[in-house]
Amino acid sequence: MGDIINIGLFFSAIRLATPLLLAALGGMFSERAGVINIALEGLMLAGAFTAAAVTWYAGSPWVGLLSAIVAGAAIAGIHAVACIRYKADQVVSGTAINILLTGVPALLSGAFFLSSGSTPQIPKENLIAWTPIFIAFALVPLTYYALYYTPFGLRLRAVGENPEAADAAGVSVRAMRYTGVLLSGALAGIGGAYLSIGQSSLFTRNMSAGRGFIALAALIFGKWRPVQTMLACLLFGFTEAVAIQLQGVPIGGAEIPNQFIQIIPYVLTIVVLAGFIGTSRAPRALGIPYQKEK
Amino acid sequence: MKLRLFLAAALSCALVAGGASCRRAPRADESGKIRVGIVFDIGGKDDRSFNAAAYEGVKCAETGRKPDGTPCDKPTLGIMLRDVEPGNPTSIEPAMRAFAERGYDLIIGVGFAQAPIMELVAKDYPDINFAIVDGASQLPNVASLVFKEHEGSYLVGMIAAKESKTGVLGFIGGMDIGLIHRFATGYEEGAKAARPDARVIVNYVGVTDSAWNNPGKGKELALSQIGKGADVIFTAAGNSGLGAFDAVEQAGKDASGRANRFVIGVDSNQNGVKPGFVLTSMVKRVDNAVYQIVSDVVKGQFKGGFHVYGLDADGVAYSMDDFNRSLISPDAIRQAEEARQKIIAGEIKVTDAMTK
Repeated sequence: MGDIINIGLFFSAIRLATPLLLAALGGMFSERAGVINIALEGLMLAGAFTAAAVTWYAGSPWVGLLSAIVAGAAIAGIHAVACIRYKADQVVSGTAINILLTGVPALLSGAFFLSSGSTPQIPKENLIAWTPIFIAFALVPLTYYALYYTPFGLRLRAVGENPEAADAAGVSVRAMRYTGVLLSGALAGIGGAYLSIGQSSLFTRNMSAGRGFIALAALIFGKWRPVQTMLACLLFGFTEAVAIQLQGVPIGGAEIPNQFIQIIPYVLTIVVLAGFIGTSRAPRALGIPYQKEK
Repeated sequence: MKLRLFLAAALSCALVAGGASCRRAPRADESGKIRVGIVFDIGGKDDRSFNAAAYEGVKCAETGRKPDGTPCDKPTLGIMLRDVEPGNPTSIEPAMRAFAERGYDLIIGVGFAQAPIMELVAKDYPDINFAIVDGASQLPNVASLVFKEHEGSYLVGMIAAKESKTGVLGFIGGMDIGLIHRFATGYEEGAKAARPDARVIVNYVGVTDSAWNNPGKGKELALSQIGKGADVIFTAAGNSGLGAFDAVEQAGKDASGRANRFVIGVDSNQNGVKPGFVLTSMVKRVDNAVYQIVSDVVKGQFKGGFHVYGLDADGVAYSMDDFNRSLISPDAIRQAEEARQKIIAGEIKVTDAMTK
């Protein structure tokens, strides 16, 4: 058992949880404002590619990180305009962005690096292994405070629960929703940057490998609340870390088939969702475009 | 739009005419060039590994130069080349049909996952030549280009065990499938042959095709293996394997300037990816195999069935160059060379996990 439970496992879990947490907290701002953000996967890819490409050219991961934030927010801006200005179906718009971002990095990498979907490898000195982790976990109390103890948070939650009432009280539903969606892009962008210039040293196509969707699951699992969402991300990170450690280690003389190990995080999610946390209630106006009465 | 039109065309001939009207004799285009279409695996042509090797092969056939512009050791064959990198597995079949529909002379599919798809498409176009890398088909118009990865893996396993201080080795596979098990068992057998007490930790990135594009997970697996004492890690995981390169680099070098942990590259020569940290690469000459099949078509000598590339014709090998010459002891090389001869002569039988 000592082979599996050790200090390495703890750090591994933190590293695996970090991109999830950043994307999930991002998703929280968007969804608390009433806009479904299924585009987290694509936003992470935007951040990951931009971070790697800019770091390669600029030679500084900080510039890369900043660009990833801008890129994430810019792509999220498309989602925001489609959903808020044009009242598009939010799931469709999000899916479109996810599909768009499987292609755009490949196209751009062709233009910049004569490659088809990956960037050159970034030298070790230009990687930021710890900063995104600190940002992610520092954001949890900050988000908590912002959501529950500031006028901004109150308004954000109000437009996600009852936009009519918020509007009547003089809150601009549109402005709050734009802010929420753009913030989600910025945070998912940091999550993506962590994948490309933190955890690994290059961008490869679709490198988010479903993490955006797992972040979304963590957000729902955490009932759209910062601390619970963090715990959910940690749980996902932890189970994945355990799955990594379990692979190829015989338990009681028999090796567990890899397929079983790989499904642990997902089975655990279903079990916990179905049995232990009770109903998870979404913001009431989630997914409903707001139409101001004339 | 083009794709949709094309799909409609492909569908209509498949359904309405039962495929008959879609059959066309192979023909060169107006300029008289042989036309070759290649459909890459999900990893994409610059995975610095498997797909990259296939791309190099066709690129040499087209221009006589490698994708990076350096000249090949083989002459150009003057073909016209088109390639497709499918974004997801569902776009593989339309891509193949697009080439077939336009009467290409040779259609190459890269990767085991395309074998069943090619089987379907090749049946509808019996007059067009197909080649599948890493896959098998019984159709007469499909050439199956397969490699004895277990033999090459055996040799790098020996080298790994000889150079390991801890006696613990790591293996990181991409997708948990028979083809990758072949690398793993060969590696393990080679390691145990050189050092009976060697232990190999075998891990896989995943069980779906996203396993080839997840360097973050690849790195975590490598770090976990390093935590368990592994000091040489063999990757066969496409882009995910690059995460292991980062992990060994992170482990640094000792006072004498020698890396504390090593990685072994795969498919393409990856010795230069992280110089000093890459012990060797188990190269699989997909480039040669692909070039050869193009050359066969150009000469009108295309033959279906199995084309097996083993140690004998350098179809698989371990790579030695200026990056790693100083990392491997002469003794390890000597032993690996001996084993190579014995495997070719049939004196050593390496287990093939796919036929087990």
